[in-house]
Amino acid sequence: MSTREAAIPGAGIHPAQTKRKDHSSLWNRIMKNRAMYMMILPGLLFFIIFKYVPMAGLVIAFQDYKPYLGITGSSWTGLSHFERLFSEPMFFTILRNTLVLFAMNLLFYFPVPILLAVMLNEVRINVFKRFVQTLVYIPHFMSWVIIVSISFVMLSTDRGLINELFAMMGFEKINFLLSNEWFRPMYILQVIWREAGWGTIIYLAAMAAIDPGLYEAARIDGAGRFRQIWHITLPSIRSVIVVLLILKIGDVLELGFEHVYLLLNSMNREVAEIFDTYVYTAGLKQGQYSFSAAVGFFKSFVGLLLVLGANWLAKKVGEEGIF
Amino acid sequence: MVQDKTLLSRLFDGVNYTLLTLVALVTVLPFLHVIAGSFTTVQELAQKQFVLFPTVFTLDAYRYVLSTNVIFKALGVSVGVTLFGTLFSMFLTCLMAYGLARKDLVGRNGIMFAVVFTMLFSGGMIPTFLVVKQMGLIDSFAALIIPSAINAFNLIIMRNFFQNLPDGIEESAKIDGCSDWGILFKIVIPLSMPAIATISLFYAVTYWNTYLQAILYLNDTAKWPVQIILRQIVILASGLAADTSGFDDGFVQPPEQTVKMAVIVIATLPILLVYPFLQKHFAKGALLGSIKG
Amino acid sequence: MKKRYGKMAMAAALTLSVVAAGCAQKPDGSQGSSGNAVEAKKGPTKITIMANLHTPEVPSDIIEKLLEEKTNTELTFQWVPDGSYDEKMNAAFATGSLPHAVYVKNQTSLIMYRDAIRNGQFWEVGPLLKHYPNLKNLDQNVLNNISVDGKVYGLYQERPLSRQGIIYRKDWADALGLKAPQTTEDLYNMLKAFTENDPNKSGKKDTFGLTDRSDLVYGAFKTVASYFGTPNGWGVQDGKLVPEFMHPGYMETMNFFKRLHSEGLMNKDFPVTSKNDQQNLFITGKAGVYIGSMADSVSLHAKMIDVNKNVVLDVANRVKKPNGKEGVWAIPGFGSVVMFPKSAVKTEAELKDILAFYDKLMSPEVANLTYWGVEGQHYTKEANGSIKPNPDTKLTDREVKAYQALQVGGPSTIKMLEPVHTLPVKAKAEELILDNNKILIHDPTAPLDSKTFTEKGSRLQEIVKDATYKYILGSIDAAGFQKEIDRWKKDGGDNIIAEFNASFQQAKK
Repeated sequence: MSTREAAIPGAGIHPAQTKRKDHSSLWNRIMKNRAMYMMILPGLLFFIIFKYVPMAGLVIAFQDYKPYLGITGSSWTGLSHFERLFSEPMFFTILRNTLVLFAMNLLFYFPVPILLAVMLNEVRINVFKRFVQTLVYIPHFMSWVIIVSISFVMLSTDRGLINELFAMMGFEKINFLLSNEWFRPMYILQVIWREAGWGTIIYLAAMAAIDPGLYEAARIDGAGRFRQIWHITLPSIRSVIVVLLILKIGDVLELGFEHVYLLLNSMNREVAEIFDTYVYTAGLKQGQYSFSAAVGFFKSFVGLLLVLGANWLAKKVGEEGIF
Repeated sequence: MVQDKTLLSRLFDGVNYTLLTLVALVTVLPFLHVIAGSFTTVQELAQKQFVLFPTVFTLDAYRYVLSTNVIFKALGVSVGVTLFGTLFSMFLTCLMAYGLARKDLVGRNGIMFAVVFTMLFSGGMIPTFLVVKQMGLIDSFAALIIPSAINAFNLIIMRNFFQNLPDGIEESAKIDGCSDWGILFKIVIPLSMPAIATISLFYAVTYWNTYLQAILYLNDTAKWPVQIILRQIVILASGLAADTSGFDDGFVQPPEQTVKMAVIVIATLPILLVYPFLQKHFAKGALLGSIKG
Repeated sequence: MKKRYGKMAMAAALTLSVVAAGCAQKPDGSQGSSGNAVEAKKGPTKITIMANLHTPEVPSDIIEKLLEEKTNTELTFQWVPDGSYDEKMNAAFATGSLPHAVYVKNQTSLIMYRDAIRNGQFWEVGPLLKHYPNLKNLDQNVLNNISVDGKVYGLYQERPLSRQGIIYRKDWADALGLKAPQTTEDLYNMLKAFTENDPNKSGKKDTFGLTDRSDLVYGAFKTVASYFGTPNGWGVQDGKLVPEFMHPGYMETMNFFKRLHSEGLMNKDFPVTSKNDQQNLFITGKAGVYIGSMADSVSLHAKMIDVNKNVVLDVANRVKKPNGKEGVWAIPGFGSVVMFPKSAVKTEAELKDILAFYDKLMSPEVANLTYWGVEGQHYTKEANGSIKPNPDTKLTDREVKAYQALQVGGPSTIKMLEPVHTLPVKAKAEELILDNNKILIHDPTAPLDSKTFTEKGSRLQEIVKDATYKYILGSIDAAGFQKEIDRWKKDGGDNIIAEFNASFQQAKK
């Protein structure tokens, strides 16, 4: 710090001025970084104009909003939309389903890209590494419509390939698509299949910063592969993991509407209905703007609490956190 | 590099390579099915459902898709938007991320929180539409780029990468008389190529997949990017649009499944090809190499 | 009830969405609409039209140019992909950016705009229609179905009232000595025979009867429900409206499907089967009966004949339960409805210019141009006056078919060209579709209004849909079904019944 301050002409602080330090040092600290503020400014303007100005739209959650009357013309209804949401007979089912899918994402999906990235990092044949990397990243580009329709071809009991295989081996056919039990495994496996390869990219980028000398030194010390992973690879991507984890937790209620909606049917609704699918039929499909906004607001609020909690926890255990 | 040849290490490699090969196979099969499906006939696809090696080979689907220049024009639009959008986004993102990476910046956490807040709360489609309209961006390609110029997630990741750079580099540059701007462009960015490559890829994919903005902000169909055509064909080919949209489904036939697959291949390949070009930045020790170089 | 793929595109970015500020009244500057009214008397009328695109690509401008020439207009089209149409229209409406003429996709969307219509956001056109030689031919009954509080705010696109019927493998039926089904028992026997008596003579049990999909309306269920005498949506009992699922016919239909399902006479996974997969089962000769739009017979036949030259298809309607009454459910007779927002169409004079365009669009010459294209290019005329469409569907897909979305009126109000049917099953299907008109069952609530239905209808409908599937698949029994109906009533169904009945009594007066 001291060298940096010394490098700026005129930034030196006379000992006599230290009693006014509070005020002037704040100003000095700002002025010292004025170039940084200039850099932040365009981005900040972007967030204000395209994110914060439209946020005025959030108030319709408290209105009986009509598009032709606008925000200014629509009448206020207070919390009635929230009351409707909380008194919805299925509210707790929906909340439970949402949280279960979220927990599954965190437990089963989140570690997979890390694991995969570590495995790729251990590959020494470069051609093989690049080849695998490119292949595992392909599913990310396939839309859910396609993925779900291919799953149907695989899992259907009518002539689905997997069930045909079961039948050939003398097993009972399994009704994957129309059952409460299979919805969650199916959901999470599809998420992993589609996103795991894509998720490795960030970690691989972080691993690119590791000095190969560290591995060599560890080897000379007689450290095995697992110990190298544990002591070198993982610590170097720890801060990325923490940041991604916090952001993932904030995404608690974003479980992929399109995906869940495509998997949802009358036979698995009890476990598959989440806030997004609920608000689609109960709100958006019927032009219930205010109700949809209220459900969105509730979701965002829960997400905010979780992010704050996760960020606090990260700092508590000595990590940087995000803010 | 010293190769360690202990038995355990070899076993590790054996398991690792086998697992990765399996993973690669499982992830790529459905896409191979799509490719194979685009080169075969509707009948074969209906019979077999899951095709990897078509017995009948035909280019009919591609002939159909490529018989007008619509898809080429759309691809052109997508390439242009992706290219300019990524450059523009990277410029703004790097600036802001670098500014926010400075640890002694007053108000830094406040700004970061404000950024995270936008990931959670959003005013929705219509207020954003109004802002875009007020700025006169309707029917311009800028409407696909400017309103999504900075992605909060990408910004946070980028800042995290910048923060993890060794502190000493900046300090010594400063002593050498570099300004903050100079440090960013001459030292920090060249040193962060893995991160730059990653985030550029994220932006490029987002721009490539732009759909809703194009639907909302572009009335002029000549400006449509390829995703609109892709989605249109996928949705029509899935067959349920007809019942609810009130048009005469006996008169208008949905596109064939093979055509759907051909369009998926055409619309996906360009963006798939981006990654291999960026891969050298993810090689082990890439960062160190750039410092030394 | 209509599921999935078509709708799902609407969704992705919409999770938090929705909203707007109050400027719906503001005109959209980019349309160049205002001020044209005066000069438009001489020059061509400038009209911007928003319509849904249901072809893979935006059409070339060949038809557009001819259309402009014949109607003395300068047209600008805002094509919107069908799957995202509602979204675009909602956003444009809430931001005051709608163009002069807007097509509302279907009845469901129209109901969503009722509120805005009452508020005076769109021009009332009902009283003006009589001044136009072609528009005045629009059917009063259908206009009544699109009306709001008895007033007409748009022009409708005609749709055959009911294309529903049975398509089956005639070659299989002949091989087993079966006749076209006339009763639901015949139908059951056919499905059973197709499953158990080896209709394709393969020596294996590799076929089954019915192929159905995840759609209780346009799939097989609702049509079979008609065969059991179930009303369409709502029925009148003792002068009062009662929902279809409280009618005994609905339970009989569920029992019928339950039997088919448990005996393996239909595809087991029908509640998650897409239309494409459903048709594949038929095309590849796994299933022998397809219940739905009889117009599908043509495309099904075209695909099947490539696989198996011996395929013969036939169609059937007028199926009834033994001693029952013939009937088939009908749609309200319209597809999309075109409306004229006041935010873009400023004056009545302007509105009249636009209506004049639509009047010309309804003239046989222009209507045939937008539907069939150009003679010699897109079709040829036969000696008897009927036409033969160009077999190059690639060409017609790209140049003509999208414009069908513009059509106002239809074959019963315009003298349209008749295509020749080279395929016997197609000719018969057309015949039976007309024949259906004699036994239609209408939905009495089409012109009626229920506040609760508008707000919660989709959600409540889901309760009934879930219960229906669960009953058919055997996971609940009749008592369980009744429990779900009670839940429907409690969650708002009772209000819907009361409101529709109030609206019904009022409309009678």
